[in-house]
Amino acid sequence: VKRVAVTGLGIVAPGGNNPEDFFANLVAGHSAIAALPAERCTRLETRVAAVADLDAAQHFPAARLRMLDRVSHLAVVAARQAVGNAQLVFSAEERSACGVFFGTGTGGAASTDEGYLTFYQERSDRLKPYSVLLAMNNAAGAWIGIEHELTGPNLTLSVACSSAAVAVGEAWLRVRSGAAPIMLAGGAEAPLTIGTIKAWEALKTLAAEDTVDPAASCKPFAKNRSGFVLGEGAAVAVLEEWEHARRRGAPIVGELIGYGLCTDSAHITRPSVDGQARAMRLALDSAGVAPQQIGYINAHGTGTVANDPVETAAIRRVFGAAAEKIPVSSTKSMHGHLLGAAGAVELVATLLAVRTGTAPPTMHLDVPDPECDLDYVPNVARRVPSIEWAMTNSFAFGGTNAVLVCKRV
Amino acid sequence: MTHTFDVLRDILVKDYELSAERLTPETTLADIELDSLSLTELIFELEDQFSVIATHNGAGLNTLADVANYIDGLVATRDGAPSGPSP
Repeated sequence: VKRVAVTGLGIVAPGGNNPEDFFANLVAGHSAIAALPAERCTRLETRVAAVADLDAAQHFPAARLRMLDRVSHLAVVAARQAVGNAQLVFSAEERSACGVFFGTGTGGAASTDEGYLTFYQERSDRLKPYSVLLAMNNAAGAWIGIEHELTGPNLTLSVACSSAAVAVGEAWLRVRSGAAPIMLAGGAEAPLTIGTIKAWEALKTLAAEDTVDPAASCKPFAKNRSGFVLGEGAAVAVLEEWEHARRRGAPIVGELIGYGLCTDSAHITRPSVDGQARAMRLALDSAGVAPQQIGYINAHGTGTVANDPVETAAIRRVFGAAAEKIPVSSTKSMHGHLLGAAGAVELVATLLAVRTGTAPPTMHLDVPDPECDLDYVPNVARRVPSIEWAMTNSFAFGGTNAVLVCKRV
Repeated sequence: MTHTFDVLRDILVKDYELSAERLTPETTLADIELDSLSLTELIFELEDQFSVIATHNGAGLNTLADVANYIDGLVATRDGAPSGPSP
C-alpha cells in the first residue's frame, strides 16, 4: 500500500481562482453568493447564485473555446493550475500510466439547455455540430486528459453531489494500490443555466434570497436556513505516490489518507444518519485514524432542512463525546453548492484548513437550531493549530455517501 | 467562387484566428490543421451564411477552393441552376 501525497491543487470557484485566494476568502468569511443579474432571472424564482469569475476567452483560443461547455472551461483551467502548482512535467512513461478521474453531476448543462432552446423554443433544426461533444458528461475529464496527454484511464463519475469526492477517492485508491504514480482528480459543475436552475427550483431545495443581504442567503445549520445556493466551479487535485513526489522534490500540500464510500439505497433524496455515519466510519477505518484525532470536519452542510440535522446526528454517532470538541463547518455558506464539484472544492478548503491550522467558519449562523448542536465555527474563522487530520463529507441524491480524510504534512 | 472564398476566409480569420495571408484557394485543410470535426463546424457556418443545406460532412474536400466550390454547388442547386463553379 502506497502513501498518497497531494502535490498540486487547482481551483476556479466562487471566491477564488487559486487555492490561496479561495481559502483566504473563506477564512475572512467573505461570501461569494450574490444576486443574479436581473436578465438571468427571467422566469426564475431564484434570485441568488455563486458565480465563478472566469472569462474563458482569456484561457482558450477561439476554435477551442467553442468546443467546450463552461463546465469544461472551468475544469481545464483548474487542472492546468493544479499541474502547474504541482510543478509537474509528465514523462512519456508517466503519461501512459496517469489518468483522470473526474466528477460532474450534469456535465455541459448550458449546451444542453441551448440545444433545447434552439430546437423546442426557436423551432430551429440548426443544432450546433458540437452539441453532443459540448454536453456529454465525460467532456470535462476528456479535455483535461487531452491537454496533458494522459493516456491512462479517464473516468467520469457521476453520482450527483458526491461526484467529485468519489472521483478523488477512487483516484486515491488507484495511486494507493500502485496502479498509477499520479492521478488528476476533481470535479466541475456549471449549473447556472435557466433550465437547470428551474429544475432545481422544482425540487424546493434552493435557498430563498436573504433580501437584506443576498450574500447571506445560505445559512447552514441555522434555524432559519432555507436551502442551498447553486454554485459553479471546478477543483482538481494532483494525487501522487509519496516516494514519486519526494524523488522529484514536489511540493506536498497534504496527504490523502482515507476514503469511505457507501450507498443508502433506501430513498432517492432523503439523507440517512446510518449511511452518512457509515461512510465516515469507513473513511476513518481506511485512514487508521481514531474519531477523536479528527481536528476539523468540512461538513456537507447544504443548509437544507433535511440534511443538516441528519449530518449532525451522523457526526454525533461516529464521534461520540469527541463530537463536542471538533470544529465542523459548512463553507457552502460562502461558495454555494457546487454539486458534482463540491467534493473537490471542499477538499481544497479542508487541505488548507489542515495546512494552515485554521478552521473556516460557517457563515450566517445567527439563529441556532436545537437539532443542530455541534460546534459549527459560527461566523468567525478559528485558529486550530493542532489540526493534524481532517475530514470532508459529501452526500448525494441517489444515496451516495463519500468521505475523504486528509493529514497535515 | 471569389465571393464564397472571401466569406470562407473571413470565417477562418474570425473564428479560427488564422491570418488572412495564409489563406488562398490552394491552401489545404491540412495546412491549417482543420480536421474533419472542425470542417463540419465550418460547413455548418457556411450553411447559415449561404442559406443552404449541406448534403455531406465535407469528406473528400482538400483545399479551400474545394470547400468554396462545394458551397457554390449547393447554392446553384438551391437556385435551380446546374451545379458547378460560379463565374
